[in-house]
Amino acid sequence: MRLIPCAILGALVSCAPVPPDPKQALIERGRELFFNETFAGNGRTCGTCHREEANFALDPAFIAALPPDDPLFVAEFVPALRENFENPRLMREFALILENLDGFDDLPSRFVMRGVPHTLALRTSVASPQGPRAGWSGDGAPGDRSLRSFAVGAVIQHFTQRLDRVAGVDFRLPTDAELDALEAFQLSLGRGQDPVLPLALKGAVARRGQEIFLDDALGKCNRCHANAGANAGFGNLGNANFDTGVENLPDQPARLGGERVPRDDGLGTPGDGTFNTPPLAEAADSGPFFHNNAVETLEGAVAFYDGAAFNSSPAGRAVGGIALDATQIVAVAAFLRVLNALENIRSGRENLESALRLGYFERQRGDALLRRALIDTGDAIEVLAGGGLHPRAVLRLESARGAADAARGSFFGRRRQLERATAALDAARAQMIESPR
Amino acid sequence: MNRRTLLGAAFAFALLGQSFAHGQRQTERYIPIGQSPGVSGKATRVGTIEDVDAGARTFSLATDEGRFEIAVPPGTRIWLDRSRGRQSAQSGDFGDLKIGRRAEVRFAQPARKGPAGWIKVEVAE
Repeated sequence: MRLIPCAILGALVSCAPVPPDPKQALIERGRELFFNETFAGNGRTCGTCHREEANFALDPAFIAALPPDDPLFVAEFVPALRENFENPRLMREFALILENLDGFDDLPSRFVMRGVPHTLALRTSVASPQGPRAGWSGDGAPGDRSLRSFAVGAVIQHFTQRLDRVAGVDFRLPTDAELDALEAFQLSLGRGQDPVLPLALKGAVARRGQEIFLDDALGKCNRCHANAGANAGFGNLGNANFDTGVENLPDQPARLGGERVPRDDGLGTPGDGTFNTPPLAEAADSGPFFHNNAVETLEGAVAFYDGAAFNSSPAGRAVGGIALDATQIVAVAAFLRVLNALENIRSGRENLESALRLGYFERQRGDALLRRALIDTGDAIEVLAGGGLHPRAVLRLESARGAADAARGSFFGRRRQLERATAALDAARAQMIESPR
Repeated sequence: MNRRTLLGAAFAFALLGQSFAHGQRQTERYIPIGQSPGVSGKATRVGTIEDVDAGARTFSLATDEGRFEIAVPPGTRIWLDRSRGRQSAQSGDFGDLKIGRRAEVRFAQPARKGPAGWIKVEVAE
């Protein structure tokens, strides 16, 4: 008779929350700061532009669903920020953010309009022999140029209450401890290493796309995006800057509506026309593409390298030009879509497994992990379905999403649903790739 | 060195040119003296301006670690730190380096000596 209460007590004790290790605690502190700390500014946080629901980036569809008083739109409702802080039209239509990268002395004329780069896989994508390269032109961080310092520049540029930008008045600068936490959080996001290509892909189109990607005489993608990451595949350059001619694209969407969009000269002041190489494994679900969101679709982004703007650029000439036909462009994009879905599955599975390890009293943390797993699973569905790829994997992913969603609302069946979701993710993965995880 | 390595090196040179120094300097002007993350106290010196030689474009900075003669090459960014007066930072020039003013100097070389990379000068008004 006494065994039953003891068993219940034992179960409860074993399910008690385990204190997080110091590194995890720092990451959690960084997460809290990233999404909630306004630094006494205009109400924006890091997460205002780097939305977790949008892969830590920003796109027009996501923006369209935000309420009008979202801090992203401060230029629309804070009088002191109405002029020369953002361009609300370009923000809403193209998810472009105003940056004064060449100085603050002439705000009406000296600015550039840039997309929001995601903050995933930063562990793999900012190191170079010349030091860290953060942001679209690789020079995004002030101070020691490190990712740790990046938040300081972001607060000054984007969080200020007035264009006077006085520290202690219009914002407060992050403390050293806050910078440590923010850096730890950002480095915790996404992959910790690049894929090792080639992968044993099952889909014929994606497999062919991978071949083209790796072919130094055809696609030539791997030269600058080794293993579909952000590092050059030659010369130990690490994460490098290239002038690929994106600024020379004709009919750039942001310029078609008559808004003033100065030419972006890239790295340095004056700029040298180069921009930083982003990782590609996350590309399919983090568009629009390039530093100026010039191209909306992944297929369009691959096709860019077949066009005149790239082939007449310094980078295009250096590789001897790239010529791909439509089927090859779609194949490379299919490869990137599958790669992205595999990363979504890895990340989603990691979150589900973390949720499974949590105790009974850690439901709130578990819900946050499940939410992230649902985002990843939804993204995997979108990138595959968007390319007409692996419909059976998509079905498994939908099952995984259903089970993860059910786990969120389940009291006693949570573990069973989590296990179902994990198994469905594994089944989806098995549709796409031969090799073991 | 094989052909592939040579091609890679040529490719790298063609693409990178001379753009080795990188760092967002524009927001630096709004960071008050001594507060730049990872830089203040490590790559800079903070002190008081003691002498200025406008002809030679040099000045001396008295710091806790001694007195340093600092060259200011043309084009060196000079910012006026007015944060103590709760005023916005401004761009300045060599003429703003005045005796008695507090200043922070980032050096163009990592050893915290030699010519200035940028200078922040505290201005009271």
